[in-house]
Amino acid sequence: MAAVAARYDQFKALGVEVLSVSTDSRFVHKIWQEEELSKMVEGGVPFPMVSDGGGRIGTVYGVYDEAAGVDIRGRFIIDPDFVIRATEVLTPEVGRNPDELIRQIKAFQHNRATGEVMPSGWLPGEKTLKPGPALVGKVWKEWKP
Amino acid sequence: MTIARTGKEAPDFEATAYIQGKGFQNVKLSDYKGQWVVLCFYPGDFTFV
Repeated sequence: MAAVAARYDQFKALGVEVLSVSTDSRFVHKIWQEEELSKMVEGGVPFPMVSDGGGRIGTVYGVYDEAAGVDIRGRFIIDPDFVIRATEVLTPEVGRNPDELIRQIKAFQHNRATGEVMPSGWLPGEKTLKPGPALVGKVWKEWKP
Repeated sequence: MTIARTGKEAPDFEATAYIQGKGFQNVKLSDYKGQWVVLCFYPGDFTFV
């Protein structure tokens, strides 16, 4: 969470709003912000910290662990048409990579703007592919893994 | 109940939230329609990673 907050200016620049969600109450979110997050990240977490009491939202998103009573690490990229473009779900032991999240957002935004598609491992500025009949069977000419 | 699936419409929800500088507010996912959103679940406040 703090890692996303630390890169919040990058998300803002891409026109992305972040919503964090856990089963903690809004009161606990407030104290976590005041007592810890604000000391990890300058200014603290600037986005809404949603309370998912009882895992109601997490259940719908397939990330609620009933036995533990918590939402595991799930992250969803939602486009302006309200379509889920990407999903990543990890069990609690390992944190996520916010730079990979930003890369995926940039790739989806590039696709939305141009119709081009991004090959594996694409980084902004690198070669994209233009799908169409001319490309069938010819990807090898354009791109190598 | 609609279940979230990649490539399909995001299930809407409304819930209470803490927003720095604004206090406690209700947040509705569909209020963010028209912009990109990252929805980020995590196991709990005060956890370690």
